[in-house]
Amino acid sequence: MSKAVPDAKVFYLGPDYEMGRSTVAAFKSAAEAKGAKTVGEVFAPLGNKDYSPFFGQIRAARPNVMYTSVAGNDTVRLFNQLAEYGLNRNLTLVGASGTVTSQNMDAMGKNAEGFTTGVGYSVDLDIPANKTFVKAFQAEYKALPDLYGADSYGVMYFYKAAVEKAKSTETAKVRAAMEGLEWSTPQGTKVMRAGDHQAMQDMYVTRVQNGKFTVLSKVAAKDALGPDTCTRF
Amino acid sequence: MGSLIDTLQFVYAPQIINGLSIGVAVVLMALGLTIIFGLLDVINMAHGEFYALGAYVGVTLLAMGVNFWLALVLVPLIMAPLGYLTERLFIQRVFHQRDRHMLTLLLTFGLAIVLEDVYKLVFGPQPYSVEMPISGGSEIMGVFFPNYRLFMMAIGTLIIAAVWLVVYKTRLGAMVRAAAFDKNMASSLGVPVSVVYAATFAFGVALAGLAGILLAPIYSVFPTMGKDFILMAFSVVIVGGLGSIKGAVIAGLLLTQIQALSSLYISPSWSDPLVFGIMVAVLMLRPQGLFGRLGHG
Repeated sequence: MSKAVPDAKVFYLGPDYEMGRSTVAAFKSAAEAKGAKTVGEVFAPLGNKDYSPFFGQIRAARPNVMYTSVAGNDTVRLFNQLAEYGLNRNLTLVGASGTVTSQNMDAMGKNAEGFTTGVGYSVDLDIPANKTFVKAFQAEYKALPDLYGADSYGVMYFYKAAVEKAKSTETAKVRAAMEGLEWSTPQGTKVMRAGDHQAMQDMYVTRVQNGKFTVLSKVAAKDALGPDTCTRF
Repeated sequence: MGSLIDTLQFVYAPQIINGLSIGVAVVLMALGLTIIFGLLDVINMAHGEFYALGAYVGVTLLAMGVNFWLALVLVPLIMAPLGYLTERLFIQRVFHQRDRHMLTLLLTFGLAIVLEDVYKLVFGPQPYSVEMPISGGSEIMGVFFPNYRLFMMAIGTLIIAAVWLVVYKTRLGAMVRAAAFDKNMASSLGVPVSVVYAATFAFGVALAGLAGILLAPIYSVFPTMGKDFILMAFSVVIVGGLGSIKGAVIAGLLLTQIQALSSLYISPSWSDPLVFGIMVAVLMLRPQGLFGRLGHG
């Protein structure tokens, strides 16, 4: 983002609950470290119907980037209303990985165009396992898979790998086998870091182009997720 | 100077116009509420649910293939007889008893709870979204504004003006005002008071239903939608003066402007408590509200 919009003036709009506030705080500190300027932030209730009263503060702040972590139907209303009020002109929309998904993308049409996010999955990932997965998913559900589909699918293989390594289905043994386990998924190879049990995988910067997410660049797992700071294990 | 004009045009003007468009919708709701109170002395706690019913009737019509503009005409026409029946079958039953204030309040409150659950059972808890019947926006003097909200403002203003004309300039309106002022005297002069009561209730319900379908493309349609809106309408009626038409219009526009402009400086989530605070202050300092009651001024 720091490359795409050199002197970013960012406005933050999050849903008003823990996830919304923590995603905004996390993105803000990372963006500010890269030199982006924060011009305002506001939180809307979950399930908010009309975002137009919030637009006054956005106009007053004159941002060129807007970060949002709303999701589901809230995104549909927010993005469609931004377009209705002409506010999406000269505004780069970035957000959380759950903000625009294959479930709500159709309801926004071209109003979601250009939305950029960092995510652990994209349909167009050039990984053989992904190609098989996408084909099977489409045949079964007549829709493209998104992050949640791929994650849930991949985690079954995680369990399979752990059971094979432990040669048992006993909880304690499977659990021990999971530490440091490496397994392959449509999202690429994943590792459960032994130190804090964080699943490590490469992350992707994706953007909505012509109604589909397209990968712009890849961020290595250790850069995307930061060091292990856990002291419990 | 240039930047000041730019700020006025880019920041304040859209916010004020947006406040106006919401204000007109709030006034439509508040008008029905205040007319019913002004004439029947009934605080209609189910007004929000009639607003939701209008939206659900609209959604049903749209699903049957009726176009939005026809639905806009049909919804109030369907709602009016429902309102008439509600008044005749329920309100009239308790209207002539001594503690009718409490009874009608509880009756309409109960009706609201029942209706909300009926919507949940019939239509399910999930929201229905209604496609914008007019898409796009217009740029007027440098202010970009969605076309549908411009249309809503125009039609709302027309309806408010029509209500005003009917109540204050026609023989029908004179009968309503006479019945509100002194129902015994009006009755002895030949005004069919009970019909006027039921018809007025029907009219208020039809206005609520119309507001429901008008706002459906913006807020979408769900069982509890009446609750979101009715508190604002009640605040407007209380600040404007219970039973006052002029008060409902002026307070409706005033309070929504306060919300719109305060939203530039505080989180818009806080603009509702701000309005309720004003309502409490008005109740403490000037309990009769800003203007007098229907038939009295």
